[in-house]
Amino acid sequence: MLKLESLCKSYGSIKAVDNISLSVAPESLTILAGADGAGKSTLLKMILGLVKKDRGEIYLDQEPIGSDFSKITSITGYMPEQFSLYTDLSVEENMNFFSDIQQVPRRRREDLKQRLLEKTGMLPFKKRRAGALSGGMKQKLALSTILLSSPDIIILDEPTTGVDPLSRIEFFNIIEDLKHEGKTIIVSTPYLDEAEKGDDIVFIKNGKIIKQGSIQSLKENFPARLFRILPEGNIFEAIESIRADDEITDNVYMRGRYIKYMQGGTAGFIDRIPAKEVKKVSPTLEDIYLYYERNIHAG
Amino acid sequence: MQVEDIIRVNELSKKFGAFYAVNRISFNIHRGEILGFLGPNGAGKTTTIKMINGLLRITSGNVFVKGLNVKKQIKQIKAFTGYMSQKFSLYPLLTSLENIEFFGGISGLSRKEIKKFQQQIEDTIPIEILKQKIMDIPPGIKQQVALFTCLMPDPDIIFLDEPTSGVDPKNRRDFWMQIYKLKKAGKTILVTTHNLDEAEYADRIIIIHNGKIIRQGEPSSLLKNENMDSMEDLFKKAVTDDETN
Repeated sequence: MLKLESLCKSYGSIKAVDNISLSVAPESLTILAGADGAGKSTLLKMILGLVKKDRGEIYLDQEPIGSDFSKITSITGYMPEQFSLYTDLSVEENMNFFSDIQQVPRRRREDLKQRLLEKTGMLPFKKRRAGALSGGMKQKLALSTILLSSPDIIILDEPTTGVDPLSRIEFFNIIEDLKHEGKTIIVSTPYLDEAEKGDDIVFIKNGKIIKQGSIQSLKENFPARLFRILPEGNIFEAIESIRADDEITDNVYMRGRYIKYMQGGTAGFIDRIPAKEVKKVSPTLEDIYLYYERNIHAG
Repeated sequence: MQVEDIIRVNELSKKFGAFYAVNRISFNIHRGEILGFLGPNGAGKTTTIKMINGLLRITSGNVFVKGLNVKKQIKQIKAFTGYMSQKFSLYPLLTSLENIEFFGGISGLSRKEIKKFQQQIEDTIPIEILKQKIMDIPPGIKQQVALFTCLMPDPDIIFLDEPTSGVDPKNRRDFWMQIYKLKKAGKTILVTTHNLDEAEYADRIIIIHNGKIIRQGEPSSLLKNENMDSMEDLFKKAVTDDETN
């Protein structure tokens, strides 16, 4: 549906987006994962022409769009990281206002408004002032407003940053529903736990792609064996003492009360880690990120 | 081991208009521990931290830090506490070294002392990066610099408000190793986070919701008591239990 080819953007000597290529399949959920400053927002803005690309091409349904962003912007709903709601207006008034802006026909308006607020769980708060909503609810209202134009493509820039874990899960459930309704969705996030809900993922760091692919295949083809180890005693002390061992130091990291050990090749050193319990586990996206990021540093 | 309460929070409340952001909470922080402070957005975490630091007026209740009353003796308290706010407030147009000079000046350090701190940070971060403007450096390093400025001159008690938000998995872990080193150096640390795996790195956690404490204790015993496998599950249960009550 959407294809980016060799996109580049520099600000002075800083390469914010450095040769990024990716394809987005129709009716899929693509996750753009990376820390603050990785280049996620710049990339998303380039897709919509909000930031001018230095180099590269964007294809919409196989057609290069060149510098004409009218088609893509007309079918895309975009929620920036710093979205704007009118805090003095109620939830419903915000929806009316954005319906005007997006020129939603009057006869469809009531029904659409009702349906969207219901979908995002905001219907009970219709009369509440937007300024009095919690962070998670504001996010859901902002999402509702961009859905008013019935976009085919939805681009959400860090919709859940700073949002608590429960609201994050709820927000991603709504996003999944939208995908099942046929929307093509791109979401950027620094949280890899919620990224697990995506179909495809692109890990970016310093403007570059570290690794990309379908989440399922990245998991199935994870090149190392992964173990979860419950250490004897304090986790930090355990990590410190393992780090003194050159042969395994790069292969271990902590995750909650556990140590994760990635064993590449055949030679294992797992017996060098004092453990109360050892279990072979499947990789999460965080493990995958750490694996490929580490390999980049090593190479 | 004898537990000493370095901070005592007693029936603390904060009201904004008719709304209680923090509603009569009481807890203690033990000397030398890492206390994890968890809760949904708007639960009252930052409000509580700001009251303890004298940055927000207390509506009712009391806070004592090393026996000193926050309402009356905040100046003395500030001399031995460090606070790293959400989105760490470094000046984006200044370099790291200039930020250290600026915050060192605010803390009342002499030129010589500031120089010493600048040399210290040069041991861990390359000088080329330290001479770049904050706005141009990676978030992981920004976070290290922010932590460093909050450690000037040499606080006993450190408050970290969402220090790992927006930071990548590797830097998050490195940051926690640093927190642990501070603990080993005898510091007392209160830290908030939305990354629940990190809650397990704390000696004790407190979960707050709607301005009230809904769980507190050692992570491992809380998980065991409620027969939960992960902090995510425990957090979910605690919040939903509270909402259905």
